[in-house]
Amino acid sequence: MISNNSEAVVDLNRLHLSFDGQPVLKDLSLSVFHGDKVTLTGPSGSGKSTVLRCILGLVMPDSGTITILGEPVTRYNIWQKRRHIAYVAQEPDLGTGSVKAVIETPFSYRANAGLRDNLARLPEIMERFNLPKLLLDKQINRLSGGEKQRIALTIAILLDRPLVLLDEASSALDTKNKQAVADYFKQAQNTTVLSVAHDSDWLGFATRVVDMKEIQQM
Amino acid sequence: MNQIIDISLLSLAGGYLLLIFPLAAMLYLRVDMLRETVVAVLRMTVQLLFVGLYLQVVFQLNNPFLNLAWLAAMILVADLSILKGCRLKLKRFLLPMFIALLVGTMLPMIFFAGIILRLPGWFEAQYVIPLAGMILGNCLRADIIGLNNFYHSIHTNEKAYHQSLAYGAALAEALNPFFRDALRSALAPTIASMATIGLVSLPGMMTGVILAGADPFTAIKYQIAIMIAIFSGTAITVFLAIRLTVANSFNAYGMLHPDILRVH
Repeated sequence: MISNNSEAVVDLNRLHLSFDGQPVLKDLSLSVFHGDKVTLTGPSGSGKSTVLRCILGLVMPDSGTITILGEPVTRYNIWQKRRHIAYVAQEPDLGTGSVKAVIETPFSYRANAGLRDNLARLPEIMERFNLPKLLLDKQINRLSGGEKQRIALTIAILLDRPLVLLDEASSALDTKNKQAVADYFKQAQNTTVLSVAHDSDWLGFATRVVDMKEIQQM
Repeated sequence: MNQIIDISLLSLAGGYLLLIFPLAAMLYLRVDMLRETVVAVLRMTVQLLFVGLYLQVVFQLNNPFLNLAWLAAMILVADLSILKGCRLKLKRFLLPMFIALLVGTMLPMIFFAGIILRLPGWFEAQYVIPLAGMILGNCLRADIIGLNNFYHSIHTNEKAYHQSLAYGAALAEALNPFFRDALRSALAPTIASMATIGLVSLPGMMTGVILAGADPFTAIKYQIAIMIAIFSGTAITVFLAIRLTVANSFNAYGMLHPDILRVH
């Protein structure tokens, strides 16, 4: 299937998905363009997070197509597509080990071999998100929810992906840090951000706010 | 050294009298294990009687093919009990697990029999069957721990696993931390027992060799060799068990097939 717009970074075309016979996504279509900061809103359980997980190939829609950077996602190219995406989950689980090890692990993957130099930016980004350097030696599971979220955001930024998916990624942050994160992505003009959020601080950052109801056939 | 004294069936029957103590303690404290104990003792007796009768035939014939068939049957039984013990889907895993157990048992056993013992006929039933049985029993335990740990841990830590995939990890890279933990937990018991062996209790094989009339020094040489064979066998089998089952357990997107775990 041809995407609606060749410039779209992500194009979701008529996605249907049910879990145990319960429809979650109903004929959902959405295009996100280069540099867009799109925020999905809707009541909890409306399938916002599922949309992000479909783009990552963590959930397979029953029908419809997902196009990333002009190419429909298939079982064959999903692994390569994931290399264009950074994802920060709601209450991220980053595994075990020291914060430093957790940050470095994704850079040990073959797919990210060329990105190791980006780790040089780590001190700058940590400072920007008010994360003290001492944190690096702590165990990741000793961190607070907000600290974990900012570490996950830091990794996402260091991976330098064209598409960033944020699932309530600032939910545990105070206003100051929320602002720091929003400011960062606002100035990243080449980065396309698709986020899921509730709070108004975050909605202010979006260039487009999309209600789940608008993009589905109910 | 003396030859081992046989136990007459009558004396053995007398041996059951020792059960009076545990049974009395259970009755006195109302420990609800009486039935279980009686069933277990009966099962042990019947199972071992059959094994004894069968092994007598196997030893008399001492035919390499028959010995092999006996090993294959033991491996198949082990295979089935692992899948039951791990609450894993039988169909997908039956063949890969059989291979993992076969290689994990046979490789150290052939090494033991051929290079360490230098058996004249390298498939002597008297040596090969007990050795393979010991290695296999340990492989079985290690596979249950390893597979359980691996698949259940991926299931419980699904979010962390998905996060690695989202970071661009290849399947093997994303599975690596789980593989590492599974191998560690499967090998830990054997490492611990090697480290304390001889301090607390005399190991089974050594006891057997001594009872059979051998010199204690011969007995410890057997014990050292079997411990190494067991350790090597458990590492081989767990490594293969995970490696060979992974291919069938994840879909093209790297998601664990939901029917792998029979979680109740």
